[in-house]
Amino acid sequence: MNEIKNIVLAEDNSTLSLLLKFRLQKEGYKPLIAKDGKEAIELIEGNKPILILTDIMMPFVSGLEVISHVRNKLNLTTPIIVFSAAGQEEMVLKAFNLGATDFMAKPFSPNELIIRIKRLLA
Amino acid sequence: MEVYKILQNYFQQLPIELQLVWVLSAVLGIVALIFIAYLKILRNSLRNKEALKLKYLNNCEGLLLSFLFEEDSKDKLSEKQNEFINTVKNKSNDSFRREVILETLLKLKNEVSGEIESAIQEVYLKSNLKDYAYLKLKSKKWYIIANGIKELTQFKVKEAYPEIKKLIKHPTKEVRKKVQLYLVSLFHFKGLEFLSTLKTELSEWDQIELLEELKYLDNQEIPEITGWLNSKNNSVVMFALKLVKIYNKYEDVNTLIQLLNHKTKKIRLQVIEVLTHLQVLDAKDILKSNFKNYSKEEQIAIFKLLDNIYEPTDEKFILENCNNNNFEIQFLALKMLKSLNEEKFIKILNTKRNLKQHPILNFVQNN
Repeated sequence: MNEIKNIVLAEDNSTLSLLLKFRLQKEGYKPLIAKDGKEAIELIEGNKPILILTDIMMPFVSGLEVISHVRNKLNLTTPIIVFSAAGQEEMVLKAFNLGATDFMAKPFSPNELIIRIKRLLA
Repeated sequence: MEVYKILQNYFQQLPIELQLVWVLSAVLGIVALIFIAYLKILRNSLRNKEALKLKYLNNCEGLLLSFLFEEDSKDKLSEKQNEFINTVKNKSNDSFRREVILETLLKLKNEVSGEIESAIQEVYLKSNLKDYAYLKLKSKKWYIIANGIKELTQFKVKEAYPEIKKLIKHPTKEVRKKVQLYLVSLFHFKGLEFLSTLKTELSEWDQIELLEELKYLDNQEIPEITGWLNSKNNSVVMFALKLVKIYNKYEDVNTLIQLLNHKTKKIRLQVIEVLTHLQVLDAKDILKSNFKNYSKEEQIAIFKLLDNIYEPTDEKFILENCNNNNFEIQFLALKMLKSLNEEKFIKILNTKRNLKQHPILNFVQNN
């Protein structure tokens, strides 16, 4: 039986979101797209994803709040990869303190992201 | 008609002042109504434009992604990819659509690297989008020129160098700034050559932006900057001093020492700060010998330098300044003295009977 490999992707850049969606689908995952942290939390609560990809800076609810919600409220151990823009080192440290598993600085290579996802889920 | 006549009679019987108020209220009411109608039309027009933009954007995103994920041979574009480039060429004749295409390309280009970034670059170069950017450079409006340069910088069009270089002395500051950023962003430290001939001021913000651009370069091999340190343009000297500090250019120490005699105080202060950072021992004696000729700010900077590199031979000079009337100098002098010769420090301490009246001494003693 094929297991549904849901991945929640929270990213407010619609073009990047679409690109990653295509890329993840190509690798056999089922990406669930959220354009802000609020939508991401709803998707996480309702879909039990195997992985969460989240941008740090997002409208309404930030990536940091998503991580905090997943780790402290939902008590999930789902791996979380955060995206951050260059110069957001402090934010990345906060993300790790909150329980992020890995991070990628923008601009990043989608191919490298896929490799990291595969290694995390192996 | 009856009501109208009653109103007309009522209006005519009113005193002239009240009539005027009524007329004015009516005029203002009409103006307000026109304004409200205009705002409603404007809002609708903006919403329609936004909806149309969103539609184009979604369409463009879809097409771009099909282009990016289309399997191609290493050097040749597939038929579908060529089709996409032709679509971009056709649609970019319309300025609105062109802006949407550019926005889509940039939205992705700024977030990804590697093959995808190169593919986006290829779309820009192979379509006629760059031709429109070149056209912008010939505009009479400065903001269009600046926009064109910014676009060519974002898409790393090195071939535009001859056209953009011509604008380095443009009368508008914003255009000059974009040219400078283009040069540094694409040609890295070599792009800083414009500093040699720069006559206009490089503002603090411009300097920060250039340094920020240089920070992320892989090649950190800095060219010869002695010429910029000796520039007649003070802002260029200040920028060169920042380069010396950030990139630890010890080979320029002699030039820095000469700059201690620069006629501008701001530069002299910056030089002392850089010398402090580089911990140049040779500068210490020169600064000590001319100490009295410097301004208070410079004297404080000298003491900060000394605080980093003091030696037993500096004791006499430090002792002379233990009663300096400047708080910072006195504090630093006492602190260094305590570390160099505690006996002498205690001797000074003993001469002051009530330590509460000498908070600096009290603080230095307890720390």
